[in-house]
Amino acid sequence: MAAIRTENLTKNFRQIRAVQGLDLTVDTGEVFGYLGPNGAGKTTTIRLLLDFLRPTAGTATVLGGAPADPAVRRRIGFLPADLSVDPRYTTRDLLDFYGALRGGHDPAWVDALLQRFDLDPNRRFGELSTGNRRKLGLIQAFAHRPELLLLDEPTSGLDPLLQAEFARLIREMTSFGATIFLSSHVLPEVEELAGRVGILRQGELIKVATVEDLRAEARARLELRLAEPALEGVFDGVPGVVEARTEGSTIHLVVEGSMDPVIKRAATLPVVRLITHEADLEEVFLSYYAGDGNAR
Amino acid sequence: MIVATRLIRDRLRGLLWWSVGMIGLVLLTVAFYPAVKDQGQALNDLLNTLPDAFKSAIGYDARIPLTSPPGYLNARLFAILAPVLALIFAIGVGAQAIGGLEEADRMEPLLANPITRKRLAVERYAATVALLVGLIAVLAAASVVLSAPFGALEGVSIAGLVGACAAVGCLAMFHGSIAFAVGAATGRRGPAIGAATVVAVAGYLIQSLQPLTDLLDPFRFVNPWHWYLQRNMLVDGVPPEAVLGPLGVSAVLLAVGVAIFRRRDLR
Ligand SMILES: Nc1ncnc2c1ncn2[C@@H]1O[C@H](COP(=O)(O)OP(=O)(O)O)[C@@H](O)[C@H]1O
Ligand SMILES: [Mg+2]
Repeated sequence: MAAIRTENLTKNFRQIRAVQGLDLTVDTGEVFGYLGPNGAGKTTTIRLLLDFLRPTAGTATVLGGAPADPAVRRRIGFLPADLSVDPRYTTRDLLDFYGALRGGHDPAWVDALLQRFDLDPNRRFGELSTGNRRKLGLIQAFAHRPELLLLDEPTSGLDPLLQAEFARLIREMTSFGATIFLSSHVLPEVEELAGRVGILRQGELIKVATVEDLRAEARARLELRLAEPALEGVFDGVPGVVEARTEGSTIHLVVEGSMDPVIKRAATLPVVRLITHEADLEEVFLSYYAGDGNAR
Repeated sequence: MIVATRLIRDRLRGLLWWSVGMIGLVLLTVAFYPAVKDQGQALNDLLNTLPDAFKSAIGYDARIPLTSPPGYLNARLFAILAPVLALIFAIGVGAQAIGGLEEADRMEPLLANPITRKRLAVERYAATVALLVGLIAVLAAASVVLSAPFGALEGVSIAGLVGACAAVGCLAMFHGSIAFAVGAATGRRGPAIGAATVVAVAGYLIQSLQPLTDLLDPFRFVNPWHWYLQRNMLVDGVPPEAVLGPLGVSAVLLAVGVAIFRRRDLR
């Protein structure tokens, strides 16, 4: 059974088409990265999945039920992009309150979370720094060991140490079988965690792929230094070569997909040095943002 | 009732300060009674020369001298100050129940928990009413306890006094329910407070213009201020509509507010 399934899910705010005809399936147990630039419709999608918004058209099924059903929401943890609670509440107040609503937290687990994120439960929300508010947001989302986590830009504003702790927690939750849906406007934040990503642009899901497939799509850059001046056009017609530029005895190549044909051709040349640059996933990603992603 | 008890706890400190204010109002009022009583007839004669509109606005009744305890308490406490204080409290709490919560972006984290919107709304309304009942209980206790030492309880029935306090509570609940319903419908606090205030001021004006014109008479019978101010409750008892009217209207406002809140998008 899919943890999240949407069919033609659509939300308009007057003339703004925030989410358009979204058909999305997130499988139980996977970490799904939901990517898109600001204003793409990520938050709107999550709000639809929690029944905060009612769809203009289409349906959303979460954990096999309707988002409006409290029994479904009992099994969901939600991290809003910007958690706001009564400034007089201490962390403990909030966790106790939510725990009561959820039918009880496991106190040992909650204490462990507080320790892992190093958050003093007796400080008032109004006195917490932005970073500590993020921590509280995460802790309240994980406190009831939900089966599905809807995390809206969870890693923005976390320092590297906390990001590492967050990543550990995500892996731990998935090892228990939990499903993680996390949104972000930058790829590197989800690249290490997510198995699959969906890319959203102006309310439309334009790509769903595994991170591996995205990597395969990524262009590699390499440099061949030859023992003699390079001839123009030696790489013409070699599959995968997107760009070849000659500069004295150096050839600059941009390669897409398999490197094999390029290496075979290079073998015919007097190569002195071969310099490769890391496949640039971010570039692939940005190309989807920019709108030429459909063409590739 | 987890949501309701949480809201009551959040507001307890505020309620404490409002209670102090209410006790202060009652104490100041009754403490001046002995001095007013000594003015006796002179004051009464002066008042008789005033225009009817003014007399009714301050709760004047020819049968009941303003220098008698029921006349004095009615004019000084129940005709305007106590209800206004209770109204401000009820409108503030009612507007906060949903409109204020949502406007401060605190609704979504709460609704991510396994509760329905209906339960959240009904519980927060119940908490609003409970807080108002608390303030009214303080008003009633203060009026009964503090009036006696100043001789301001002579000729006043305890039942009438407590009943008048209950009527204050009902009048405040009426307006607090408007603030609740508008907040539930809009998800904002400003319109909730605005709507309730406009209704309160309009109702009061209509009631105070009543002796001058019969143009507004059709509105009298749906005006909560008319239900409340039509007679001196300390002598004549509480008219049923002063209690039943606000309760009925509040029930309708609760139902409508919750129904809209359940159907709309959060903002
Ligand atoms: N409540 C709302 N009313 C009107 N427009 C909205 C509302 N919420 C979001 N939008 C618009 O919908 C689009 C998608 O927004 P959002 O889902 O917040 O994007 P993201 O989270 O990807 O940055 C944006 O153009 C935004 O301005
Ligand atoms: Mg967003």
